[in-house]
Amino acid sequence: MFESLFELLFKYRPVIFEQGEFAWRASELGYLLSFMVAIAAIIIVRTYRQVRGNSKSVDRLVLSVLRVGALALLVFCLLRPVLIISSVVPQENFLGVLIDTSGSMQIADTGGIARSDFVRQQFGDPESGLRAALADRFALRFFSFSGGSERVSAIDELSFDGTQTHLGSAIRSAHEELSDLPLSGLVVVSDGADNASEGLGESLLPLQASGVPIFTVGLGGEEFEQDIQLSRVDLPRRVLKGTSLAVELVVTHQGYRGETATVQIEDEGRIVATQDIKLPADGVPETVRMRFTAAEEGPRLFSFRVTPKTGEMVIENNLRQALILVEDRRKKILYFEGEPRWEVKFLLRGVEDDTNLQTTLLQRTAENKFFRVNVDGPDELPGGFPTTRADLFKYSGLILGSIEANYFTPDQLRMISDFVNHRGGGLLMLGSHRSFSEGGYAGTPVADVLPVALDPNESDVGESFFSEVRVEPTRAGESHPATQIADSEQASTQRWSALPPVTVVNPIRDVKPGATVLLTSAPDDLVVLAFQRYGAGKSLAFPVQDSWMWQMHADMPVDDLTHETFWRKLLRWVVDGVPDQVVINLPQDRVEPGQAFTVLAEVGDANFEELNNSSVVAVVTDPLGNIIERSMEWTAEKDGEYRATIPAGEEGFYEIRVEASIDGELLGEDLSYVQVSPSDSEFYDSTMRTALLDRIASATGGLSYTADSSESLAEDIQYAGAGVTVVEEQDLWDMPAVFFLLLTLLLLEWGYRRFRGLA
Amino acid sequence: MRRVAVGPSVLVILVLLVTGFVVVRTSAQDQGADLRALLETRTESRKVSDGPSEFYFTRGVYTSGWRWGSWRIDFPKADRQFMLAVNSLIDISAAEEENAVRLDDPRIRQFPFLYVLEVGDMALSAKEAKGLRDYLLAGGFLVIDDFWGSWEWANFERQIRRVLPDHRIVDLPLNHPIFNAVYRIDELLQVPAIGNHYRGRTWEQDGYRPHLRGIFDKQGRLMVVINWNTDLGDAWEWFERPEYPLEFSSFAVQMGVNFIVYAMSH
Repeated sequence: MFESLFELLFKYRPVIFEQGEFAWRASELGYLLSFMVAIAAIIIVRTYRQVRGNSKSVDRLVLSVLRVGALALLVFCLLRPVLIISSVVPQENFLGVLIDTSGSMQIADTGGIARSDFVRQQFGDPESGLRAALADRFALRFFSFSGGSERVSAIDELSFDGTQTHLGSAIRSAHEELSDLPLSGLVVVSDGADNASEGLGESLLPLQASGVPIFTVGLGGEEFEQDIQLSRVDLPRRVLKGTSLAVELVVTHQGYRGETATVQIEDEGRIVATQDIKLPADGVPETVRMRFTAAEEGPRLFSFRVTPKTGEMVIENNLRQALILVEDRRKKILYFEGEPRWEVKFLLRGVEDDTNLQTTLLQRTAENKFFRVNVDGPDELPGGFPTTRADLFKYSGLILGSIEANYFTPDQLRMISDFVNHRGGGLLMLGSHRSFSEGGYAGTPVADVLPVALDPNESDVGESFFSEVRVEPTRAGESHPATQIADSEQASTQRWSALPPVTVVNPIRDVKPGATVLLTSAPDDLVVLAFQRYGAGKSLAFPVQDSWMWQMHADMPVDDLTHETFWRKLLRWVVDGVPDQVVINLPQDRVEPGQAFTVLAEVGDANFEELNNSSVVAVVTDPLGNIIERSMEWTAEKDGEYRATIPAGEEGFYEIRVEASIDGELLGEDLSYVQVSPSDSEFYDSTMRTALLDRIASATGGLSYTADSSESLAEDIQYAGAGVTVVEEQDLWDMPAVFFLLLTLLLLEWGYRRFRGLA
Repeated sequence: MRRVAVGPSVLVILVLLVTGFVVVRTSAQDQGADLRALLETRTESRKVSDGPSEFYFTRGVYTSGWRWGSWRIDFPKADRQFMLAVNSLIDISAAEEENAVRLDDPRIRQFPFLYVLEVGDMALSAKEAKGLRDYLLAGGFLVIDDFWGSWEWANFERQIRRVLPDHRIVDLPLNHPIFNAVYRIDELLQVPAIGNHYRGRTWEQDGYRPHLRGIFDKQGRLMVVINWNTDLGDAWEWFERPEYPLEFSSFAVQMGVNFIVYAMSH
């Protein structure tokens, strides 16, 4: 509207004025006439000053200004103002037109018309509107793009079924292809729903350097009228078989406020969890916490789905999938106990049925006398607590029971610290009169690792602390996987409040700044369970000395499994994510068919020191059973990191087994999976990204348009100044605005005289 | 597993105890005291404000038949002397005094180690049978001692069938870990009651050979240890007497320590 009015008054649209320069082009006659008009103006002013009659000085002033204004406008025209602009030479320049053919272009969110329909209407036929306007001025080169880009000619045959949108790479490759030609710019016709992993900035740099503007035509609406989207699902990539997973799903929607939606989790098609949620206000993310058990071994594709509702614009974004490797293997935990305690018996009893945990007990029965349970053989722990890092680092988890710090040598204390910090293991310290401050750990390297603050004076205090406490979960503890002792979050919280009291002899109330308290005791505000990430691993403090009361208290039914569940969940979480000597890291666990994927592996020795000279081989089995073997090379970017690139031709799961050895001796191996399938990312956040398109245009000196405003695209590019151009001078004296202003001044003078009764 | 040579240390401890280094309080008035009051005191002591002990040598109180109060044979002297030895031999926070609890007392589950003897005349009430069953299935560990011969075995078997009707009683071979938990036991000795020792024999009734039998739960965990045709309790009670053979006292204490450590770690 504004632009149309502006063009009506000033002949050209504002963008032309922005591109051009203002100048005077008066002839000698014009200057002479202008001079004469100026003399006339002076005479008129003097005449008005001398005239008296019935006029006042104010009247004379107003009339003088109006008359001089009209004469000044006349001078303006006589001096012949012009706008100097660069205009492309017709058909001498090329214009790249990039058309988004990704799946999101099929979304019909503009009055029931699909985004792709705009493309077909405007570009499908050589005679169609926008294409014809551009073709009048430029030699057009069309490109289609989604995950990759390619030159196309038949626009009406485009299929709009791409599974990705990589704007940056499309712009870069189109520019590279046209860089040897006189290029007036690139036109990007897209919804802007870019889902490339790399940023756009680098792709725009060459265009900025060569002065090639990008003009964007954004398609689609900035928000849907009705839609539900499962925005985020966070899950680990690998878990032990039987692990209960707590997952947070973020659901967003438009247009369904107050309605109920059903969220389901499926394990390879089998529903493992269902929950109804009430949808909040439009655009407000709703976080849904759900739990399910990874019961089946192997690579499992879990689906998280919000049941579609009537009227949804996009139903594909109701579904998220996650590939999880469910491992049926044993993680070893060393439980070192300084004296016979009932906690030992019941802890071991609690986890003995868990085939994925091997809890090896080393119990001191008297000075330098040890009792071992669940060892692999007579050579395991023959002389008490490990004295070398290699022996300690064989375990994924370490539990310290009632064992005083003085038992350990300084090097062993440092080893325990390194077990967490460097090896990435999980450390759990239990409550007793020989642990925490009471055990003399304050000021030791172990104290640095622990999530709780230890009082160095505590062990010197004569009076012993003893408190009977009831345990309750904190807000974090209500949803944390380690503290889920019932089937649902609510049931778990209620169960905690119903458990019998336990006793504490370690008065711990303060935790480290980065620690999280999961369990606490209400009356004393004592820390009952806290954890923190430390270095590569994690540490936990559980200053309770008799959790076995949750099994043996008279109030607990004989067949109650709360105690077993608690220890099983806790110890599984202690060793969750603890790495081995060889660990596969996949930058992407899902790739498109035909693409290649990168396999990274981290390799360490028995002390978990990174090795750069080991022999690492990736053995990949594709979905058809073909085996691809690749030698992995040290990346030289990070110690101990090796890389290989594997082509992915077939849809399905690729099994990746990495083996590392040095001097012929196997260091270890790891297994992982990559899913090769078309991406579903097109349908998430698939509204038009105006901000992104604006940024592309403004960063390169171009302009951004919508489908409705794209009529002026061709003319704007014509005067953008890029490519082979000629300089044009456009007269401004004949702008309608000048005529209207002159007429207005004369009418005002006439009206004023009439109003004041002047001659 | 490292073998621990401990025989000499047990002997040294026992010799010290015998020679008066440790004064054993054999309180006659305790044996004649009000047992109900004693029980209340003992069972409530688990949760005292200045901190309880980790281990209580808990004696199960049960109903007997024609021999009234057979549960309290050797009580409390045997319990106290055994605890003195245990506290001296292994690093454990064990209460030094006796702790007798009725089998039908729900609080019995707070003491996961239970010692019951003279079961040849055991006549459990229904409540006691249920209390003991719940105790064992929840995770308690029961040591049976001091009953002899086939007649008493038959009575015990009848009683334990009421508690655990679906569980088999099996012999524990000498390679079972309980014989090696702390002390290595290579031979099962028949420990005589002191009176029989004076009579020059180790057996009673027709119980000529000692047996160590066990009952396992459904997961294969040992929950009952049965000392048949032997009397560890008498050896604990009388080990300060020079005339009672140290060989039997040492064996009884070693077995008892093995029972405790095994029970607390399995």
